[in-house]
Amino acid sequence: MAKVLIPTPLRQFADKKDSVELTGATVAEVLGALTTQFPSLKKQLFTDEGKLRSFVNVYLNDEDIRYLQKDATPVAATDTLSIVPSIAGGAQ
Amino acid sequence: MSPMITINRQAWDLMVAHAEATFPNECCGAMLGNIDGDVKSVTQAVAIENSYTGAQGARYELRPEDLLEADRKARAAGLDLIGIFHSHPDCDSYFSKTDLENSCPWYSFVVLSIKGGKFDHANSFLPNAEQTDAPKEELIWPKS
Repeated sequence: MAKVLIPTPLRQFADKKDSVELTGATVAEVLGALTTQFPSLKKQLFTDEGKLRSFVNVYLNDEDIRYLQKDATPVAATDTLSIVPSIAGGAQ
Repeated sequence: MSPMITINRQAWDLMVAHAEATFPNECCGAMLGNIDGDVKSVTQAVAIENSYTGAQGARYELRPEDLLEADRKARAAGLDLIGIFHSHPDCDSYFSKTDLENSCPWYSFVVLSIKGGKFDHANSFLPNAEQTDAPKEELIWPKS
């Protein structure tokens, strides 16, 4: 089973777990299993249209899935998925 | 209880030093610590390179991989990644439209006002998921 690391602020939606072991052949399947197990995570990660929110990046080990095969990226049992936000800003 | 974030001496000194050293550009970084209900305690700060590709006097950007590294560092130390900080050179500490439109609702956002190269004041903000509002939370830092 692949491991999904849960960011601190989202653990309140995942039974306070810091990581979850899930089954899935692709990133989409693993994230689907994650939000099935913890339905309140869905609103945090996905828009109402079912797309990942604009500030949500998913890393497979050290690689951003956007530079792999996006949510069709294959996932092995030894892989770790991380949820990492995009953050920027500035005074003006 | 209202949301509150406290920052210890070690973390605060690093944040201010990073912000002053980066002046007149914006700096950025991560805050690590623990959360107990509505109270966040920052015990370690991590300076992160501003990766914005244009002029950095009024803009900053965090590489997600740098944030991932900060999260790994937090986990290894038994801490949590609980906030992001950045500076506003020669500007007050407010949450700008740019800050809001590029924020994430999961973390506290501490903005340090640096005026003439020296720390002036700071505030902490909690942006919402819709990126439409970022109310302040109480921020406590060590006063010297």
